[in-house]
Amino acid sequence: MVAEMSISDPKIIAFCCNYTASVDADALKAAGLVSENFELVRLPCTGRLEVVQILDALDNGAEAVFVTGCLVDECHNLTGSRRASKRVQYVKGILEELDIDPGRVEMFFAGRGETEPVVEAAREMKGRVTGMEPIHK
Amino acid sequence: MIIAERKPMQEILGMTAGMKKVLVLGCRGCVAVCSAGGDKEVSILSSALRLGRKMSGEKIEVLEETYVRQCDPEYLEPLRESGKDYDAVISMACGVGVNFIADCCRGVRVLPGVNTTFYGANLSSGEWKEMCAGCGSCVLHLTGGLCPVARCAKSLSNGPCGGSVGGKCEINPDVPCVWQGIYDKLTYLRQEQNLREITPIRDWRPAGHGGPRRRIREDLLS
Ligand code: SF4
Ligand code: SF4
Repeated sequence: MVAEMSISDPKIIAFCCNYTASVDADALKAAGLVSENFELVRLPCTGRLEVVQILDALDNGAEAVFVTGCLVDECHNLTGSRRASKRVQYVKGILEELDIDPGRVEMFFAGRGETEPVVEAAREMKGRVTGMEPIHK
Repeated sequence: MIIAERKPMQEILGMTAGMKKVLVLGCRGCVAVCSAGGDKEVSILSSALRLGRKMSGEKIEVLEETYVRQCDPEYLEPLRESGKDYDAVISMACGVGVNFIADCCRGVRVLPGVNTTFYGANLSSGEWKEMCAGCGSCVLHLTGGLCPVARCAKSLSNGPCGGSVGGKCEINPDVPCVWQGIYDKLTYLRQEQNLREITPIRDWRPAGHGGPRRRIREDLLS
């Protein structure tokens, strides 16, 4: 029963920088754009994101994690989103080592203040993990 | 510094199979500097271990700690007793640290969390390269500071082999031939005469081929 619930409404955690996540998660939920199980963690810059934060998010309840940073050549902090992208890749490698689908984590890029890409990313990640064997059974 | 890298997760999961409580123990020495076993890597391995176990439906308690060094007895002192509380201590120090824990902490089961690979320099962020093999009989004064033991695939002492082509080693076109480098450097330094000296067959005993090595400095002994 619990497993079915987590498949139908998997917890998705998003790490976004101030510039790519100007709308907060509650507003997105109120507008029905993301599910109740969506959580948004705002960072000053995605370059601040550590590998362990993504792993911990998966360990602590998320079925999928994504990061949305600035468009590569328009990062407010120049290389922040590029760094974040490399860390996401690094986590994918660890997941592969653990026989966990690396598609559970992903890097997305969005223009400043755009909400749509974040909503799209949340849908995409939900679609990916729905049907996968849940981590949190 | 000593360079190491984390062991593959499946190997670590295998060596900790069935364990309920482990300590991931980092070292703030060489392995922290080469991003293999410092505080950050301890937290990454711990999280990955928890996640891996979660996937197989088995619980594990993973605690995290990092010592200043694992190759000096004073830092290992607390582990002698506290280490017994764990099914195993996964040391993320180099092999020296793992060995020293095994020697100093009776009753503590220690496991290696990293593969210790070489003595190297940090070329740029995220890139390390072997520079010395700890041969115990340094010849860098004769070779323009470039090591033929560690940086020549065959550890040749008297110039390059026939596989040196265009300054590259025959093992891989990406690997520079260190003997070409030595030749160029000595020429630049006007020390070409070094190349005419025949280096006798190396005595490998100082390199460890005479058994485990030990160094004593009498004035420091207590
Ligand atoms: S235990 Fe190994 S990695 Fe740690 S400081 Fe000593 S030599 Fe360096
Ligand atoms: S000659 Fe020996 S001691 Fe000197 S750098 Fe090479 S391996 Fe190290």
